[in-house]
Amino acid sequence: MTIRHPGASWRGALAAALVVTICIGGIGTSGDARAEYADVVINNYSDAAGMRPVIFPHWFHRIRFRCKVCHADLGFQFKAGGNEINMVKIIDGQFCGACHNGDIAWSVENCNLCHSGKPGTPTQVHESTIQKLAIQPQAGGQQ
Amino acid sequence: MNRTLRIPALALAILGCAPFGAAHAQNDKGKAIYDKVCVACHSAGIAGAPKLGDAKAWEPRIKAGIDALYESALKGKAPAMPAKGGATDVPDADIKAAVDYMVAAAKDGASAPAAAAAAPAAQAAPAAPTTPRPAALSFNRLLKPASKRNPPPPEDGIHDPDNDGTHALQPPLQVFESLPRSNAGNRVDWVKALDNNLIAPRWDRTDPAAAPVVMDLNIVREVKGSMPDVVYPHKQHTAWLDCSNCHPQIFIPQKGANQISMAAILLGQKCGVCHGKVAFPVSECRICHSKKKNVMPVKNAQAN
Ligand code: HEC
Ligand code: HEC
Ligand code: HEC
Ligand code: HEC
Ligand code: HEC
Ligand code: HEC
Ligand code: HEC
Repeated sequence: MTIRHPGASWRGALAAALVVTICIGGIGTSGDARAEYADVVINNYSDAAGMRPVIFPHWFHRIRFRCKVCHADLGFQFKAGGNEINMVKIIDGQFCGACHNGDIAWSVENCNLCHSGKPGTPTQVHESTIQKLAIQPQAGGQQ
Repeated sequence: MNRTLRIPALALAILGCAPFGAAHAQNDKGKAIYDKVCVACHSAGIAGAPKLGDAKAWEPRIKAGIDALYESALKGKAPAMPAKGGATDVPDADIKAAVDYMVAAAKDGASAPAAAAAAPAAQAAPAAPTTPRPAALSFNRLLKPASKRNPPPPEDGIHDPDNDGTHALQPPLQVFESLPRSNAGNRVDWVKALDNNLIAPRWDRTDPAAAPVVMDLNIVREVKGSMPDVVYPHKQHTAWLDCSNCHPQIFIPQKGANQISMAAILLGQKCGVCHGKVAFPVSECRICHSKKKNVMPVKNAQAN
C-alpha cells in the first residue's frame, strides 16, 4: 500500500489537547454543502439512541477496497440508510463489523470515529446531484 | 439576523484558511509541508494553534524570533504542538520552510508593519493587504472557492467538531495531494489513480493479491440532438465493480435494451445510481458524452 496514515502518530497528543473547546461552530451549519464528496451520513437510529450520527467516508475506504468488496461481497445496498445497520449486527461481524473487528481495521470500541456527525444531520449522501438540486433553491431564497 | 453576522465571519474564516497571496516561489516547499501536515491544526486553530494568516495570533510569537519558532516546530511545544507536527520523518529543513511559510502568511495578513520589522529572518515579499470584503461582492457567488474544497473533517459542516474522534480522522487533502486531480467530485481522478498503481484497493476483503477480471467492452449509446454520443466502458467499471452490481438490477445486459435518459441520471437512476453520488458527478458531461458525431455541428464542439 502506497498510502500511510500519518494522522496516527499525533493522535495521542491531539486527543489529550482537545479537552480545549474548539471554536469553529459559526461556519459549520448543516445547510452548508461542502462536505467531502460521497461522505454518507447514516442516521436511522443514532439520534434517537443519543449517539452522534455515523459518517462513512467513501474516499477513505475506496483507497483501500474496491466497491465490489462492500457492495457485492458484504451486501451493502446502494442506498444511504438502506441497510438497517445496528450495533448488534456490527458486533456479529456484519456490515462495518466485517472489517472493524480489530483484525482488518480498528474495532468497535472506537465509537467516536464512526459516530462523529453533528447531532440532527439526516441520512444522506453528501454533495450528491439530488442534494445539490434540492439545496440550491433554498440557499438562493435565503439571500 | 444571524445570517448577516455570519457572512463577515465566514469571509474572515476563508481568508484565514486560504493561503491567498502568501505563496511566494521560495515557499513552495513550505506550503507543501504546511498543506500536508500542519493544516490539520493551523487552519482551524485547533487546540489553540495560531491560525495561518492570523497576524494577531502570530505577532507575539514572531517577536520571539524565528529560531524560537523553528525550535518549537522541530521539538514541539506543550501542550498541543507535537514535534514536527507529528510528521517525524520530514527533514528539519522542510519543517523550517513550513515555519517560514506560516510566518510570511502571518505578515501578509498584517496591515501593520510592526510585525515585519520584528522578524528579520523571514523573507516576506510585498503583497497586497487582504482586506475583508463583504461576501455579497465576492467574485463567485455559487461556485465553491478553492479554499472550501476537500475541507478537513472538523470544518466540513457535517462532522461534529466537539467530538474528539472527529479530530483523529484523516483530512482528505493529506492523501489527495499525491493523487491525480480532476475537476469535480472528490477532485481525484480515481481511474487514473488506479491505472497508475498510486492506490491499491483490495478486490477481496482479506486477500491483497486477489485481482478483478476486467472486461473490455464498450457500449456506444447514440444521443439525439447535438450532444456527443455516450460511450459506456465496461473496462473502468469492472476494475471497481462486480457484474452483479449492475446486472440485472440496474441494467439488462443487452445492448440497447435499457432506456436511459439524463432526467433519470439526475434523479439517481441508471448511471446516476453511482455518478453524482460516489463516482464522478454528472457535471462532467464530456467524460460520458465522449464520442463526436459524424454529422458535426462545427462550432461549439470543443467549448466546455
Ligand atoms: C465501525 C463504525 C461504528 C463503530 C465503531 C460504532 N458504531 Fe454504533 N453504529 C454504527 C452504524 C453504521 C450504526 C447505524 C446508524 C444509524 O442508522 O443511525 C450504528 C448505530 C448505533 C446505535 C443505534 C442502533 C443500535 O444498535 O442501538 C447505537 C446506540 C450505537 N451505534 C452505539 C455505539 C457505541 C456505544 C459504540 C462504541 C462502543 C459504537 N456504536 C461504535 C457504526 C459504528
Ligand atoms: C468499505 C465499504 C464500501 C466501499 C469500498 C464502497 N462503499 Fe459505497 N457504500 C458503503 C456504505 C456503508 C454505504 C451507505 C449504506 C447505508 O447507509 O446503509 C454506501 C453507499 C453507497 C451508495 C448509495 C448512495 C445513495 O444513493 O444513497 C452508492 C451509489 C455507493 N455506495 C457506491 C459506491 C461505489 C461506486 C464504490 C466504489 C468506488 C463504493 N460505493 C465503495 C460502503 C462502501
Ligand atoms: C496537532 C496539532 C498541530 C499540528 C499538526 C501542528 N501544530 Fe504547530 N502548533 C499547535 C499548537 C496547539 C500550537 C500552540 C502552542 C502554544 O503556544 O501553546 C502550535 C504552535 C506552533 C508554532 C508557534 C510556536 C511558538 O513557539 O510560538 C509554530 C511555529 C508551529 N506551531 C509550527 C508548526 C508546523 C511547521 C507544523 C507542521 C509541520 C505544525 N505546527 C503542525 C498545534 C499543531
Ligand atoms: C471492507 C472493510 C471495511 C468496511 C466494511 C468498513 N470499513 Fe471503515 N475502515 C476500514 C479500514 C481498513 C480502515 C483504516 C483503518 C486504519 O486506519 O487503521 C477504516 C477506517 C474507517 C474510518 C476512519 C477514517 C479515518 O479518517 O481514519 C471510519 C470513520 C470508518 N472506517 C467508518 C466505517 C463505517 C461507519 C463503516 C460501516 C458503515 C465501515 N467503516 C465499514 C475498513 C472497512
Ligand atoms: C457499472 C455497471 C456495469 C457493470 C459493473 C457491468 N456492466 Fe455490463 N452493461 C452495462 C451497461 C450500461 C450495458 C449496456 C446496456 C444497454 O445498452 O442498454 C451493459 C451491457 C452488457 C452486455 C451486453 C452487450 C451487448 O453487446 O449486448 C453484456 C454481455 C454485459 N454487459 C456483461 C457484463 C459482465 C460479464 C460484467 C462483469 C464482468 C458486466 N457486464 C459489468 C453496465 C455494467
Ligand atoms: C454501480 C456504479 C456505477 C454505475 C451504475 C455507472 N458507473 Fe460509471 N463509473 C463508476 C465508477 C466507480 C467509476 C470509476 C471512476 C470514478 O469513481 O469516478 C466509473 C467510471 C466511468 C467512466 C470512466 C471515466 C474515465 O475517467 O475513464 C465512464 C465514461 C462512466 N463511468 C460512464 C458511465 C455511464 C455512461 C454509465 C451508465 C450507462 C455509468 N457509468 C454507470 C461507477 C458506476
Ligand atoms: C454518467 C454519464 C453521463 C454524464 C456525466 C452526462 N450524461 Fe448525458 N447522457 C448519458 C446517457 C447514458 C444518456 C442516454 C443516451 C441514450 O439515449 O441512450 C444521456 C443523454 C443525454 C441527452 C439526450 C437527452 C436525454 O435526456 O436523454 C442530453 C441532451 C445529455 N445527455 C446532456 C448531458 C449534459 C449537458 C451533461 C453534463 C451536464 C451530461 N449529459 C452528462 C450519460 C451521461
